[in-house]
Amino acid sequence: MSSDRLAQPADVLRPRHVGAPIKRTEDPRLLTGRGEYTADRKPDRALHVAFRRSEQPHAKIIRIDTTAASATPGVVAVLTADSIAGDFKPVIPFSRMSSYYATPIMPLASGKVRYVGEAVVAVIATSRYLAEDAVELIEIDYEPLGAISRAGAAVASDAPLLHEEAGTNVLIAREFKKSDVDADLSAAAVRVSGRFEMTRKAPLAMEPRSYTAEYDARRSALTLYTSSNIPGIVRDALSESLGIPGNRMRVVAPDVGGSFGSKGSLYPEEMLMCIAARKLGRSLKWTADRLEDVSSSSQAFAEIVDAEMGFDSNGVAIALKADVIGDIGAYSIYPWTCGLEPVQVVSFLPGPYKIGSYRGAVRGVATCKPPTGPYRGVGRPISTFVTERLMDLGAKALGLDPLEIRRRNLVRPNEFPYRIASGIIWDKTGFIECLEAAGQTAAYDRLRAQQTEARKQGKLFGIGIASYAELTGIGSRIPAAPGMPINTGSETAKISIDSTGAITAAFGVASHGQGLETTLAQIIADDLGASFDDIRVVQGDSDAVPMSTGTYASRSAVLGGGAAKHASALLQNKIKRVASHLLEANNDDIEVSGGKAMVSGTDRFVTFKQIAKAVYSDTRTLPVDAREELTASYTYDPINGTTAAATHIAVVEIDPVTCFVHILKYVVAEDCGQIINPMIVDGQVHGGVAQGIGAALFEELVYDDDAQLLTASLVDYVIPSALEVPNMDVVHVESQSAVAGGFRGMGEGGAIGAPAAIANAIADALSPFGADVSILPMTPERIFQLIKQSKSKAEEKSR
Amino acid sequence: MKPAGFDYVAPATLDAAVEALAAANGEGKLLAGGQSLLPLLNFRMTRPAVLVDLNGIKELSFIEKRGDHVAIGALTRHRDIEHSPLIASDLPVMSAAMRHVAHLAIRNRGTIGGSLSHADPAAELPMLAMFYDARLAVQGPGGRRTIAAKDFFVDALTNCLEPEDIVAEIEFPILRHDGWAFEEAAKRFGDFALASVALSIRRGASGIEDARVAVMGVADTPLRLGDVEKRLVESGIDGRISDRFAEWVASSVTPNSDLHASGEYRKHLLAGLAKRAMTTALAMKG
Amino acid sequence: MAVKVSVIVNGTRREVADLEPRLLLSDFLRDALGLTGTHVGCEHGVCGACTVLLNGDSVRSCLTLAVQANGCEITTVEGLGTPETLNVLQTQFREHHGLQCGFCTPGMLMTGEDLLRKYPFATDEEIREGLSGNLCRCTGYQNIVAAIRSAAAIRREQTQ
Ligand SMILES: Cc1cc2nc3c(=O)[nH]c(=O)nc-3n(C[C@H](O)[C@H](O)[C@H](O)COP(=O)(O)OP(=O)(O)OC[C@H]3O[C@@H](n4cnc5c(N)ncnc54)[C@H](O)[C@@H]3O)c2cc1C
Ligand code: FES
Ligand code: FES
Repeated sequence: MSSDRLAQPADVLRPRHVGAPIKRTEDPRLLTGRGEYTADRKPDRALHVAFRRSEQPHAKIIRIDTTAASATPGVVAVLTADSIAGDFKPVIPFSRMSSYYATPIMPLASGKVRYVGEAVVAVIATSRYLAEDAVELIEIDYEPLGAISRAGAAVASDAPLLHEEAGTNVLIAREFKKSDVDADLSAAAVRVSGRFEMTRKAPLAMEPRSYTAEYDARRSALTLYTSSNIPGIVRDALSESLGIPGNRMRVVAPDVGGSFGSKGSLYPEEMLMCIAARKLGRSLKWTADRLEDVSSSSQAFAEIVDAEMGFDSNGVAIALKADVIGDIGAYSIYPWTCGLEPVQVVSFLPGPYKIGSYRGAVRGVATCKPPTGPYRGVGRPISTFVTERLMDLGAKALGLDPLEIRRRNLVRPNEFPYRIASGIIWDKTGFIECLEAAGQTAAYDRLRAQQTEARKQGKLFGIGIASYAELTGIGSRIPAAPGMPINTGSETAKISIDSTGAITAAFGVASHGQGLETTLAQIIADDLGASFDDIRVVQGDSDAVPMSTGTYASRSAVLGGGAAKHASALLQNKIKRVASHLLEANNDDIEVSGGKAMVSGTDRFVTFKQIAKAVYSDTRTLPVDAREELTASYTYDPINGTTAAATHIAVVEIDPVTCFVHILKYVVAEDCGQIINPMIVDGQVHGGVAQGIGAALFEELVYDDDAQLLTASLVDYVIPSALEVPNMDVVHVESQSAVAGGFRGMGEGGAIGAPAAIANAIADALSPFGADVSILPMTPERIFQLIKQSKSKAEEKSR
Repeated sequence: MKPAGFDYVAPATLDAAVEALAAANGEGKLLAGGQSLLPLLNFRMTRPAVLVDLNGIKELSFIEKRGDHVAIGALTRHRDIEHSPLIASDLPVMSAAMRHVAHLAIRNRGTIGGSLSHADPAAELPMLAMFYDARLAVQGPGGRRTIAAKDFFVDALTNCLEPEDIVAEIEFPILRHDGWAFEEAAKRFGDFALASVALSIRRGASGIEDARVAVMGVADTPLRLGDVEKRLVESGIDGRISDRFAEWVASSVTPNSDLHASGEYRKHLLAGLAKRAMTTALAMKG
Repeated sequence: MAVKVSVIVNGTRREVADLEPRLLLSDFLRDALGLTGTHVGCEHGVCGACTVLLNGDSVRSCLTLAVQANGCEITTVEGLGTPETLNVLQTQFREHHGLQCGFCTPGMLMTGEDLLRKYPFATDEEIREGLSGNLCRCTGYQNIVAAIRSAAAIRREQTQ
């Protein structure tokens, strides 16, 4: 546990940055309104864009009349799919997966619309107010083609096809198999099963999506400022689509106001902004209003899982079978494909457990909704929900304590690396250690005693446990979709010391709240031996390094951190070589720390500034061949990646009057390996858990049968506020991973464990009624219905 | 999400405001705190030709005791009601309810006149107007007239005003009671209520001598439950009074189902809140 | 119809003519005055990111017309402290890691300022209640509450 971790001798000798709660470099600007988010850009004479979006779920576009809109004051241009047809190539979210159909991504709906909220026409005017005035005057005639609102309806034989060329609404189907599940299930002592559902949700970053396309006429160059966490991927896609080479197409993610997945794919609007800026030779601004953001940004989950688990008489889970249907929305997204979320569910269902046989089948089905895409945790919030519910059901059937059944099934320390039944390999991680640490911190036994007391008083008091493991910092061997056109498995660090002695470290990652400017500098400060304050981290800019992808999938600490360590080591060697000349000492006797190179055991040193001067400016000090440029670049690929794990324990009480769930206690014990900055790690866990509480209790995108969104405003799409999130206890099991630095990724974890832990706690609280929790969010309405059904069942029985 | 265009006037007196409104020929809209109107403007769900801003009319902002009632000017902010010692002592149910009205920054702007006129069926102040049997003084081109709360709320988001009318002030009769409670449940604190109960009682030797009951979130307008009040007065105070009260309250409403909750759940909720309210009211020293 | 708006923002008088009456205060601050520290997250009053102080009280700038602020004093996040000299509340946000992406932060700070002035002795529960109109998706609120609690303690000490 980090707080009382004993200081190692090395820590005492030299102040270390890695592991210390260093205050963030980002904060002073963000706390004073000096940050710069995309919408804060002020390009010269910028024009403003507003979109006319489809009100139809699925319809052929018959006619678009833009005459009145074009004549509105302030309007500069009105663009439709037809008017930009020759300006780009569609972007294809390619993958080699069999049974996958890649729907092309177009900047504006072309020929037909496939969901309510899809952009059809773009109006460009001198202000957003005037652009919105004109949007209202556009007339569009549609021929309705039949709404598909539910995944079940989409697979019906008479369902209209959303993409005729695909010949089916099933855009992706996969199956994972190991051993003979059916035989093992029939041999099982106990079998438990259920139909589980995680409803559709919005990642809902507080900053809506925002793009500013800046046109430089002098160089015919475009810079897209974007609220994206994958600026490098966006640059490459736009370069290809618009036919602009990378040295004239730059994509910058400046300060970004959160993503949680919603800013982690290429968007049609990003294409449109660049196409239009080039066409008009002007800079353009667009920020989604909240309704647009909720109804057109990538959404999450929307999966129904039929699952069954078999246990032997000792409570060891031996077989797991699952059938997943995912409502993936109208399009496949770039670059992740529509397989991202649903396929991940079947990949991770066996979780951290040694389940012998497995069959997981998944279908991703097109409906008239915005595409699903990444969401903090991708797939694992639901796989964990399902597996952890089944574990609890198993425990109940076997008369075992929920903590004990997990003890019996988690992969043990001596069993790593362990390949789970779906094929994922867990490297050595503190699974059991997290379970035990969570139990201890929560005072689990005392909680159970407290529960007995509470129940005597008729209180609905529940304790829920969830354990999970995730793959983080994934290397090149494990692409998100097989054969996808980009490499997500490596990350570059380019560190240079300039002629003033200042250090600039450039990365391809794109921080959007994680504090990477701070944590990456901490690593460099230690490994280069620099002073923390001298380091400036540049990130989120496609011009910073030749190839980059961004920050997603809990990768930046592992990949960016690994690259930082390697590049720091290379640069430190150069520093040592120069210093050995200057100090007339042996290379091996030079020690570098705090921005100085010194001869060990002496007080002789040179500062980075002096070294820089000697190398760059003062041509007399060093021989020519010793004037090595003080730069180093390293591209790090962890090949496989590393595991991160946690156990969450939630304690809840349900008010039988309001049916509200009150979270009385929340404990997380997690293993993210070597901690870089404990303050930031705790913050990530808090935020993830809060988001998981939203998923478990409040958040749901409701579409009616005509595929109209009923919850687009923040009044109706309810995310937790300060009163709905409890204080959390977070403890750390710091087991070093095998990757550089011993780091593990941890940005997503909180959101993975919380829905399952809360679901189990609610089920436990409602166990006097024998009610089962199989759908999230557990709103007061759903809890009310559960209690009511259980009561009427009980009455029937007693009759 | 930007408002459609409109003209703007900011009169300094109530009479000038009435005039400006009349001059707009039914295309005018009053702007008070703006906390309900601005979202509608931003969504372009309403598009008046002229906005008549009341915020410059100082005479509309006051809280005053007048004999056996408290008068509140229409432009009085939620915050001022929340922090008023006079309201706390003479209209305690209102005082207790105010922290449930939206959030800090919204209470800093929102006004009682705006809230009543907006007539949201899940808003606290309209319910309290019903509860206290308030009288609204309304200024129109023909002068001033008084409208009882029960006639003011016509339907969800609909009041009985003519387009040129302005609510000037509201009179709340003081209840000389010795027990009261305000119970509300909202999805998130500060959200509009899923259901809410306001209760006030005066006890005497024979039991409850006088009672006031109002509910909201369970119909198109807030409701005062006169029948329940009568039954309370007729019924003695015993160990089962809270349960009976809950039953009576629940059986007097038939809430609709909507996106946020079913009618059935709302009824269950209302009964539970009523029970809690009665328990709280009875626990106050008589 | 065009209107002129004259306000004192962060202590400086600013005047802009030829504005449409429909211009929101949030857009006025961000676009007409270039004060982009005030963020816009919903434009329907729920998220709180746009909160500023109007004559000392926290208000939603997305639910206020620019013309309504005419003659008023406005404080935005830019008026609290500079990167070199953060004020007490800003410092505590940094100390307690009360911000991650920073998008909700200006609204949190302005609400926090109002809250501390009106309720200097607020308990954690009251702080949470006071913040209930400001949504944050990153922090889970725990550290924001801690920052405000500790700023309150420091301010109380300073005024004693
Ligand atoms: C996020 C959010 C949450 C909220 N939560 C709650 C809540 O929980 N409970 C609650 O009660 N309210 C809530 N509100 C609404 C808030 O209380 C408003 O302040 C109130 O409903 C309207 O008051 P206003 O002064 O802002 O009116 P405005 O918005 O200015 O006006 C509202 C309507 O009343 C008319 N009007 C205004 N004044 C007069 C007058 N004197 N005479 C005639 N007509 C007039 C206007 O023309 C308009 O049609 C919430 C608002 C927001 C944005
Ligand atoms: S932008 Fe004003 S409250 Fe959200
Ligand atoms: S810090 Fe990102 S929304 Fe609050």
